[in-house]
Amino acid sequence: MGMIAKIFLKETEMSFVKLSASALAIAAVSATTAAARDNVQVAGSSTVLPYASIVAELFGENTDFPTPVVESGGSSAGLKRFCEGVGENTIDVANASRAIREKEVKACAENGVTDIMEVRIGYDGIVFASQQSGPEFTAFQPADIYNAIGAKVMKDGALADNSYNSWAEFNGELPDVEIAMFIPGTKHGTREVFEDKVLLAGCESTGAMEAMIAGGMSEDDAEDACLDVRTDGKSVDIDGDYTETLARIDTNKNGIGVFGLAFYENNTDKLKVATMGGVAPSTETIASGEYPVSRPLFFYVKKAHIGVIPGLKEYAQFFTADEIAGGSGPLANYGLVADPELKETQDEIANEVTLGSGS
Amino acid sequence: MPVLWLILIVIAISAVGFVSGRSRAMQSAGGEIRNLHSLPNFYGANVALKAAIPAFGLLVLWLLAQPLFVNSQVSGMIPDTAIKDGSSRSLVMAEVRRTAAGLDAAVAQGQMTEQVARNANADIAEITQGLKDAGQVVTSEITQPILNAAQSYRSMNAKGHWVMSIVLVLLALAGAVVSWRQTRSDYRARNVVEKGVSVLLLAAASIAVLTTVGIVLSLVFNTWEFFKLYPASEFFFGLTWSPSFSGRGGSSALGILPLLWGTFYISLVALLVAVPIGLFAAIYLSEYASPRVRAVAKPLLEILAGIPTIVYGLFALLTVGPLLLSVFGDDGLGWMKAGTAVMTAGLVMGVMLIPFVSSLSDDIINAVPQAMRDGSYGLGATQSETIRQVVLPAALPGIVGAILLAASRAIGETMIVVLGAGAAARLSLNPFEAMTTVTAKIVSQLTGDADFASPEALVAFALGMTLFILTLGLNVFALYIVRKYREQYE
Amino acid sequence: MTDASMQNAEPGRHSVSLMATDEHTRKRARAEKRFRAYGIVAIATGLFFLVVLFTSILKEGIPAFTRTVVSVDFTLTEQQREESEGVLLKTKAYSDLFITALKSKLDERGLNTEVDEVAIERLLGKVGGTIRTFYTQNPDKIGEQIEFDLAASSRVDGYFKGRVSRDTIQDSRFLQKSDLELVDALEEAGIIKQAFNWPFITGADSGVDNPGGAGIGASVIGSFFMMLVVLGLSLPIGVAASIYLEEFAPRNRFTDLIEVNISNLAAVPSIVFGILGLAVFIQFMHLPQSAPLVGGLVLTLMTLPTIIISTRASLKAVPPSIRDAALGVGASKMQAVFHHVLPLAAPGILTGTIIGLAQALGETAPLLLIGMVGFVARGYPDGFLAGFTEPNSAMPAQIYTWAARADAGFYEKAWGGIIILLMFLLTMNIIAIILRRRFERRW
Repeated sequence: MGMIAKIFLKETEMSFVKLSASALAIAAVSATTAAARDNVQVAGSSTVLPYASIVAELFGENTDFPTPVVESGGSSAGLKRFCEGVGENTIDVANASRAIREKEVKACAENGVTDIMEVRIGYDGIVFASQQSGPEFTAFQPADIYNAIGAKVMKDGALADNSYNSWAEFNGELPDVEIAMFIPGTKHGTREVFEDKVLLAGCESTGAMEAMIAGGMSEDDAEDACLDVRTDGKSVDIDGDYTETLARIDTNKNGIGVFGLAFYENNTDKLKVATMGGVAPSTETIASGEYPVSRPLFFYVKKAHIGVIPGLKEYAQFFTADEIAGGSGPLANYGLVADPELKETQDEIANEVTLGSGS
Repeated sequence: MPVLWLILIVIAISAVGFVSGRSRAMQSAGGEIRNLHSLPNFYGANVALKAAIPAFGLLVLWLLAQPLFVNSQVSGMIPDTAIKDGSSRSLVMAEVRRTAAGLDAAVAQGQMTEQVARNANADIAEITQGLKDAGQVVTSEITQPILNAAQSYRSMNAKGHWVMSIVLVLLALAGAVVSWRQTRSDYRARNVVEKGVSVLLLAAASIAVLTTVGIVLSLVFNTWEFFKLYPASEFFFGLTWSPSFSGRGGSSALGILPLLWGTFYISLVALLVAVPIGLFAAIYLSEYASPRVRAVAKPLLEILAGIPTIVYGLFALLTVGPLLLSVFGDDGLGWMKAGTAVMTAGLVMGVMLIPFVSSLSDDIINAVPQAMRDGSYGLGATQSETIRQVVLPAALPGIVGAILLAASRAIGETMIVVLGAGAAARLSLNPFEAMTTVTAKIVSQLTGDADFASPEALVAFALGMTLFILTLGLNVFALYIVRKYREQYE
Repeated sequence: MTDASMQNAEPGRHSVSLMATDEHTRKRARAEKRFRAYGIVAIATGLFFLVVLFTSILKEGIPAFTRTVVSVDFTLTEQQREESEGVLLKTKAYSDLFITALKSKLDERGLNTEVDEVAIERLLGKVGGTIRTFYTQNPDKIGEQIEFDLAASSRVDGYFKGRVSRDTIQDSRFLQKSDLELVDALEEAGIIKQAFNWPFITGADSGVDNPGGAGIGASVIGSFFMMLVVLGLSLPIGVAASIYLEEFAPRNRFTDLIEVNISNLAAVPSIVFGILGLAVFIQFMHLPQSAPLVGGLVLTLMTLPTIIISTRASLKAVPPSIRDAALGVGASKMQAVFHHVLPLAAPGILTGTIIGLAQALGETAPLLLIGMVGFVARGYPDGFLAGFTEPNSAMPAQIYTWAARADAGFYEKAWGGIIILLMFLLTMNIIAIILRRRFERRW
């Protein structure tokens, strides 16, 4: 082909030859792609990604299978691609920082993805931390967070728009510095946990919710209103990663950020963590349920691909093995809270139990 | 026969055609090049093009049409009884296609003989196992109707393929022979070849249209889904953008206006930075700078366009934001509350856009004929007067193009916006407040954790579609204006 | 121009010598100087930002090119190998063997600090993988004494680079304050030392708990193959499309449609091209996921408008006299364009192509949806063609993922990656300068 191309190139119709030559190259390449995919393809949540990357690296190092490819892109995009259909050009595993929803299972089934195995890998703790050298934010109650950033709060016994400027205004034990909270944006699954376990709890305990219902709201509306945050810049949504939150805390010594436990533990020299309800976050307190703000992490496996994509079942088993996801494995060492019911998960994988089949 | 081989054969035919066409032309001219109407290579190219182009055109059409035809044929063969409750014909067809592809691959790997794959009464369990052994995706047990459909799918495809190969080679040969016979010394080969080449050029230009069609198609279905879930009037005219996480359900406000405003505002600030700096830099580089300065400064500025946007984002977040805050914040003028603001993102984005304006404008200014400058100097104008009144007006269309390109880039930027201007959507005139853009929200809603069938996730597609249509409208308008403006001078 | 002629018409001016500068002339001269100064200021501003960005990149990124290694002799017996291969987490077994060996070596030397195995484990990075890979590839070395240079843990590395200091360090399971004594003692003994970070240049991505093992090499290859696709497709298609639109296109609805489409595509957010790529290339055409081929195709579509717009501008800039002259001596329109106009427009086309390629080289968002962002650590492709289809990452994608990771060691690596990316960019620019010098001319 090179020869032909060279002869042709001398001529005026250069562009024609270049065009067909590149078309040819593409055709040649796509002809070779008929070879089967030999690696496990994973996509989904960026919260699960760190753990999946640890496992994928170890899986590549410790088995004869090629290193799986783990894409990031969020639980939503991951599950969407998971549910796109069955076949080599779809992914095998979707990571998710939340359980798959009913609607999604239905969408999956419509595309022929019927047998889905759900695997819970452990729990992710969510912590509040501030600059190491900043003011002493070391003990929070959900009520403090709610008072700081809720849209409507109880002030002098009545419901009012939030006009608090400093933490000390509603809790004398907290430093008298300007409120600046960096909370996960609405795209993050972390936001849901933050809303449920912190804002809602705070709304109830400050009595704001009761006041809202007394003011004529239905219970559902009041719950929704409890989750609204003030929009005057005291609370900043972060759509990026925890590194962005960290950078913002770095430039604002009064800032308080919401982080994952693992992220905090990797940055203890920069961040100072606060207790929630008097409990310090750690893998132990989260595993025992004492520390309230945590959530389970999952991945989903397409059963139809087991036995077809080499190493898929082995990957799932490897991920949940005691040596990996157990209390002293590399995942726990990085900051994942090990699942106390790991044994059952292992059995389910071994028996290829799927969603809705009595698991 | 693989498509690759077909392509190679056609290319070979056209190569042979080229050589023989050229020599036949020389022969007919009696070896005297002056007797030919066109240069000899044109005669060769004439034969080559006529052999290759119809064949390739047919190949593309056939490859597009055959699956559609076979699909509809096979789909009609599946009995209604084979479609389970809750399933659909298209689902079963997907299964059929997968099985057929599996059989193909299994045969190609030698795991299964062609006889077994074709045998309509083959043992289904055996086939299933054979497919699994060959590493093919099999959802569940293959049923008899599916297997039969898959087998006829395969045989029809194989037949279609053979017919296509034969027709294609014949067409290429016919094209070569006919054009070879046309080749005479007075044949207007150049005109014909040039016509052909211009068709190819047109095809290259049409790729833009194809891309647009592709983008629209890949957005439209999800956009439609979104509008089924969320009222269009609220999306287009809503003044608040506050998606909730889908767990809450029902209380998201997804108005696009604050995002459009943010996009416009940030882009405007960015252009206010980039256009003057870029334009003056271009003028200096092309009119004043010595060749050595120009050779160094121009590529250096171009590097600004190539620095990954995440670096600019971090620069905005860590350096520019705090800097602006110290001047305009509570310690200074008191206009600014936090480091993330339209101003921060706009300034940094402006820096990134400088080379888009400067480099392209420089090339264009440079291309203004020297005679125009000389004429202006001859009348006694100074250099700056010449530039302002002669060179710039002459280069204006190109400069406008460069600025439009920079504006396009500003609209499409994400990282700088997310890190520099924040994630909060707001309708405000204050450039020191945090705002966000449509693009940034497309990315964040698309890569979020929400339920993928929820309006919060699907809104990304609607945003993309709206932005696409809006910019399309603006471009149509721009084209109209340019036309109108130009026509006054023609 | 008009000003000048107006002034000349004024009577009285001629009474002054033309050589003397009157107020008006001085004003014009000042305007001239001002105008020139604006230009210098503009360029200086641009270069100032470039310098600022470069210094911060270099400051943050240079440390990525050195690493801290623990260098020890180690012997693996056949029996130890068999035992290690028998468990699930083989790399951990190798790592434990190494730690035991290191401890006994330290005990022999009699360092004046307390040494325990847990502390040694904290000092070491994830070394098991390196050791196992070595012995799998060199089975004949079993039983021989081998000197290993193994990565120290990220904190220890940070201690050497000043990222971690005695004042800021907080006790954690990653490193204790007391461990620093041991680090100092080991440094004195020559066991821990700084070395050039070859694995960073040549390696592939690593897990989030293993910053010492992360390298950018594989993703450089990925970017290279993507750029091959982009250059091979977008330059010819872009130039052909521009020539058509600028030189041959009749004025009709279809041409208008194409023109509007091209300028519109330039404003489409790059992630939308990712959506397109996922739908068309992966789901419809069944091209492989995470492959540089698909990445290149997506980036080609994304870059085409940039190249077309700038190519058209430079074609437009070639004076009509060139075409007229060519046509006058009997060339056809096609010959005039291909033989005369195109070569003269080459510098501008190059500029546009370089800007377009630079943009493509630094783009992450479209790759997000076709699976090239995340954890892609396949290493080098098996061959030239496989380079297009085997899963791989790209430089900006790699940088983006590193920047999001918790460990500060990755943050440093992200900046190091940016330096390498910029080196590629500089190379491309230098090539462009050389080509431009050869082609550029002025009329």
